[in-house]
Amino acid sequence: MKELIEKLNSKYDLQEIVYQRDNLAFTAIRKENAIDAITYLRDYEEFTHLVMMSCVDWIEDGKFQLLYLLNSPEKKCDIGIKVYIDRENPEMFSAHHLWKSVWTYQRELKEFYGIDFPGSPRVNDDFVVEGWEEIPFMRRDFDTHEYAEKTYFPRGNRKTNDPAEYMRKKLYPNQPVTAKQRKDDK
Amino acid sequence: MSFNLKDILTPFTAWANVVKDPVTIKDPFTREAAPRYRGFHANDVQVCIGCGSCEAICENQAIDLVPIEGVEGIETKDGDSGLRPSVDYGRCCWCALCVDICTTDSLRLTNAYTWVDTDADNFIFTPGVDKKEWDDKQEGWRKPQDGYEFYGKERVHMEEMHSPERIDPKDSFVEFIKGYSKEQAQQEADRCVSCGICTATCPAHMGIPEYIKAIRNDDMEEGMRVLYETNPLPEICGRICTHKCEDVCSVGFKDGSDALSIRWLKRYIADQIPADTNQYKDMLGTGDIAKNDKKIAFIGSGPASLSAAYYLALLGYNCTIFEKLPEAGGMMRYGIPSYRLPYDQINKDVDYIVSLGVEMKYNVNIGTDITLEQLNTDFDAVYAGTGLHLGRSTRIPGSEHANVYQSVDLLRDIVTGAEVPVEKKVVVIGGGNVAMDITRSMARLQMEKYGEVNVIATSLEDEEHMPADREEVVEAREENCEINPGYGPQEVVLKDGKVVGLKVWKCLSIFDETGAFNPKYDESDERIFEGDMVIESIGQGMDLSYLSEEIKTKIEFGPRGRIVVNEDWQAKGLPWLFIGGDIIEGPDVIHGIANGHRGAMAIDQFLNQGR
Repeated sequence: MKELIEKLNSKYDLQEIVYQRDNLAFTAIRKENAIDAITYLRDYEEFTHLVMMSCVDWIEDGKFQLLYLLNSPEKKCDIGIKVYIDRENPEMFSAHHLWKSVWTYQRELKEFYGIDFPGSPRVNDDFVVEGWEEIPFMRRDFDTHEYAEKTYFPRGNRKTNDPAEYMRKKLYPNQPVTAKQRKDDK
Repeated sequence: MSFNLKDILTPFTAWANVVKDPVTIKDPFTREAAPRYRGFHANDVQVCIGCGSCEAICENQAIDLVPIEGVEGIETKDGDSGLRPSVDYGRCCWCALCVDICTTDSLRLTNAYTWVDTDADNFIFTPGVDKKEWDDKQEGWRKPQDGYEFYGKERVHMEEMHSPERIDPKDSFVEFIKGYSKEQAQQEADRCVSCGICTATCPAHMGIPEYIKAIRNDDMEEGMRVLYETNPLPEICGRICTHKCEDVCSVGFKDGSDALSIRWLKRYIADQIPADTNQYKDMLGTGDIAKNDKKIAFIGSGPASLSAAYYLALLGYNCTIFEKLPEAGGMMRYGIPSYRLPYDQINKDVDYIVSLGVEMKYNVNIGTDITLEQLNTDFDAVYAGTGLHLGRSTRIPGSEHANVYQSVDLLRDIVTGAEVPVEKKVVVIGGGNVAMDITRSMARLQMEKYGEVNVIATSLEDEEHMPADREEVVEAREENCEINPGYGPQEVVLKDGKVVGLKVWKCLSIFDETGAFNPKYDESDERIFEGDMVIESIGQGMDLSYLSEEIKTKIEFGPRGRIVVNEDWQAKGLPWLFIGGDIIEGPDVIHGIANGHRGAMAIDQFLNQGR
């Protein structure tokens, strides 16, 4: 694994390397080199299987991190390729020509995070939600709670209690200690 | 219209599947899920304390805390809200964060995953209370152990001066607990799950999660505002509070998990604000209080009177505190040694209270210098928070000897600067905090005088049942004091008219079947603790000599000579006389602060009747 990563490093100038296990490593590659490197791994290093594609929203850094997880059935090991792209203008070169399953992953990422993959077949088709008008819902600035509150009706039969306030009512009623409690009790 | 035979026949080709084996599973309901599958919740409700951390962490607001009625073993009490989580499966996404944060490890997800019902409302239920068929299923998701914690298990270490530096005569009465730094305090505050279970147990019901939150936000002024809502002596309490809150802290519920260091966090907040009464007033919005014409007298300047006077001063009352001794604080100053509570910290809290217009009259003895009747004439109400300043004797043979002392007297003498007798070998009788205070103070004085410690403290209670705080016992031993619990004093041994030791028998039990104090001894296990002086520290009594004979006939006395009060803390028979502090509750500082606050509210109500 180490040998392979070093070889890859000499060709593509890797940005970060993490040896997770003997048979699993992660590395970050610059956006412009990534598809080239993935193609190289597939065609020359026996990483013929794409396990999955996913994304992490590093909102504080203004980046999306794409992950391509590749598997080599022959070498029996996995390598994860991370690619950081700009969050403001989220666009990545398409890899749909390498594996057919990439079509679906890229369509999913388009809908979930709003990342575009120009040229990827059917990338703009709805994936799991139809007629979505909000910002992509897997972005961390999407407020799930607020969306749920305005979209769905509440169940009428739910009521919760704050432990401290409930204990006050049960254990020492008529003994408000703060100005707020005195006001509440009136 | 064209006619196509294929279009007509195609639907019938499906019938060919009738004779094929199905690819689907016939009965999915009996198929077992993986052992760590996250299915329906189960909760051991007898272990759960209803802290609500599960509710707080739930991203989907799927959990409510609901009152449980009629289930044996579940009630609202110290350390248990009496609430239990109920789960709405219309919202739950089975992420198991609720399990992972659970402070008691009572909540888990079973691997049961099928549940059919025609009524959607049934999918809200209280695990462990509403019985389900999967309750006893052991497979499923549990909080992983070891290294998987959402909050640190160990409290942030407190820097302190260690023994022998601590008892070095150079600065042996200097405070040895150093206090948290900002980083340490924030790190400790981060461990809090903000459940608020502690608030009910605190006698003053302080807003503990709120002031810990202020530390996380690094907003000390907000922290002080929260503290002063319920406690006007934060520097003092931040040091010597008996911290009952920490006993019920949900974070410390499990073995191997430390409770939040609530007391030290309180001290941290107060320590960050400089001793400047103007800054206090700005911060707490108390710079401009309109005075009314009502006057209240306080007897004694301990925590109860200070607390009551503070809250009444905020309401505009004219408060005058009469103190027998030369400085304010009562037992906090004259009982607690300065290595635990330095005088400048007492002054810091007191000075702010005085700055609100509370008048202090020192060296005034009520009953002799001014009578209680006179106070009643001159003031609209009188508050007595006179504390427990009289030492109690064991009355064993030899205890009347001149070299047998009372701990409260010696502790007071140390503060006033009076001459304190220090013998080479000292025996202390008592296992409470005051006994530890005198033991450790004598150790320091022996170091000053002889360069070595030779003090033995013994108590009826065995090691596990000693009433002193654990840390007091540990620290006393670190300071070379010998703590030898589980013995009952029988006689002060005299030789040629001098004290030479204390004869003790092994104590087998302290209370009899009826619960009365009636110690049983093993007389064959007799020991003599050698000593040239003996100090008795087995509890204190109250000095009510300020009550005239006439007043005594008007009020009632209850068990142990306590003045009987109504729920508004008024002495039964004399509505203008309010009682507080150790002579009613406790004894400890925080009870005094709490009943002082409540007494203040009662006095306000009393004086405002008809308004």
